[in-house]
Amino acid sequence: MKIITLIRGTIRELAAKATLYVLAGISTLMLLAAALAVGADSTPDGKTITFFGKQASPPVTNEMLADLAGKLEAGFAGGLFLGIVVFGVFGTAGVIPDALEKGTVDLYLSKPIARWQLLLGKYFGSVAVIFLNIIYFIGGLWLIVGLKVGVWNGRFLLSALLLTYVFASLYSVVTFFGVLSRNMAIAIIAGILYLLLVAGPLDSRQAGLYLISENGIYRGILDGLFYIFPQIPAMESGAMHIIAGEHAEAAPYAQSFLSSGGILALSAWILHKKDF
Amino acid sequence: MFAIESEELSKVYRNGIFRRQEVAALTGFSIQVAPGQIFSLLGPNGAGKTTFIKMLLSLASPTSGSASILGQKLPDVRVREKVGYLPENHRYPGYLTGDQVLRYFGELGGAPPGAMRGRIDSLLGLVGLTQWRTMKVKKYSKGMLQRLGLAQALMNEPEILFLDEPTDGVDPVGRKEIREILKDLRQKGKTIFLNSHLLSEVELISDRVAVLDRGRLLKVGTVDEMTAAGQAYVIGIGGTLPESVALAARAFVMGLTQQGENITAECRTTAELNRVIDLLRANNVEITSVIRQRNTLEESFISLIAKEARK
Repeated sequence: MKIITLIRGTIRELAAKATLYVLAGISTLMLLAAALAVGADSTPDGKTITFFGKQASPPVTNEMLADLAGKLEAGFAGGLFLGIVVFGVFGTAGVIPDALEKGTVDLYLSKPIARWQLLLGKYFGSVAVIFLNIIYFIGGLWLIVGLKVGVWNGRFLLSALLLTYVFASLYSVVTFFGVLSRNMAIAIIAGILYLLLVAGPLDSRQAGLYLISENGIYRGILDGLFYIFPQIPAMESGAMHIIAGEHAEAAPYAQSFLSSGGILALSAWILHKKDF
Repeated sequence: MFAIESEELSKVYRNGIFRRQEVAALTGFSIQVAPGQIFSLLGPNGAGKTTFIKMLLSLASPTSGSASILGQKLPDVRVREKVGYLPENHRYPGYLTGDQVLRYFGELGGAPPGAMRGRIDSLLGLVGLTQWRTMKVKKYSKGMLQRLGLAQALMNEPEILFLDEPTDGVDPVGRKEIREILKDLRQKGKTIFLNSHLLSEVELISDRVAVLDRGRLLKVGTVDEMTAAGQAYVIGIGGTLPESVALAARAFVMGLTQQGENITAECRTTAELNRVIDLLRANNVEITSVIRQRNTLEESFISLIAKEARK
């Protein structure tokens, strides 16, 4: 019950910040652009997708049109993921450091709530706000594509959950550094650096880091690290595959669940040990 | 059962690279606070007053020693249901209104949802913020924030109230109002633990006082015990003291001075005081009053701290 109060409080806190309105504004602009740009035409040879009234695909059957629409939606979702990383992390990274600031943390921890509850309340509150932003964009685009192209792709709607899950995994890393440093800038930088310098290179290690050495121990360490940390790029590309109706592995999601849980547990332990 | 009890409580903070620099914030601190009292902890900046409260509220963990609240050994999350806390330099979410702050922290404190509305109304009335209840707290003055903080600390009807500099930034009228609220709470059987620099205020409302310096407890007692200035008595007389009587008295007391219609007699015992009175009466000196001389709490505090510094 107290966690629910904390989640509601965090949603309200983030609603008071401009960053997330910027994200919602960008989503709205993209939706408007999509509503104006995307359409479908019927020709004697089949249906075509149009972009600003111009034919953007050869005439295809209804089945192929669904494939094309899926790829279009996957492209949008990829763009959305970038938006989440940039604006979502920027907009929410301050939540934990703010809660741990002198004068605020005293108010929270003098109440009958455990520190792990405070951490989870703030964490899930941030994730909930990002989910609302994602569902707004994905839901809007799903409606636009459905109404204008006539393709109702349920998998695209499901991707809202997957993208939120990907963000939640990344946000566990941001939370960890937020607890450790109590500094928003460090939490943001650490989250972005994790994505660029750890998760990305580890995901594509066979084409990159493996080439540095053929040593088995070295490659074993890389593999170990890959399985310890949340697999953000693998999950993102899996989501794109699912939207496009292609096969995607479940392993990165399961493994990232364990990793993120571990990172949150470690964050809660560090928080438990802190003096304020 | 004591409301608050600590036994040999110590806290050492470790700072610097590799945490090798040690700062003893509190050393072997033992006190007992009975229920229904206003207990004040005094001390200069950095004496360890806030550290003590933070350890009681599990915001910091003790290096050694133990403490309990209402008989429950700490740390214990559930005991905080019976505690209200107004921290020093508190920061409320600026985007919330006064009303919303009370609701939010009331819910976190475990205030029953059904009673929330009535409780908020009555507390805002108590601290004089009813007309500002819908204003965002980022627009509140320091004094208003302190009043809101007090209301917040009272939301879950605590049995013990910890107040860290509660009248900081509050105007004299507001300070008097807060004092009245605290006295009223004491009458209702609440225990109030106060950290304050405003010694004149502490003197007015406290039942017991403890003085802390550099983490060590120097003295604990009632305000009367803390302010008693040895065995000096001020004797009011009608007229001037004849020099011969003064000389006779100086022969057996430690000191005797006259200022206007008041004599200050420094006696070793009450027998000496009675002897002075007998001497005055035997010489037909009219006695109008006899008062044991007292220091203000501030004077006693400064003298205690200065004595400690000389050690």
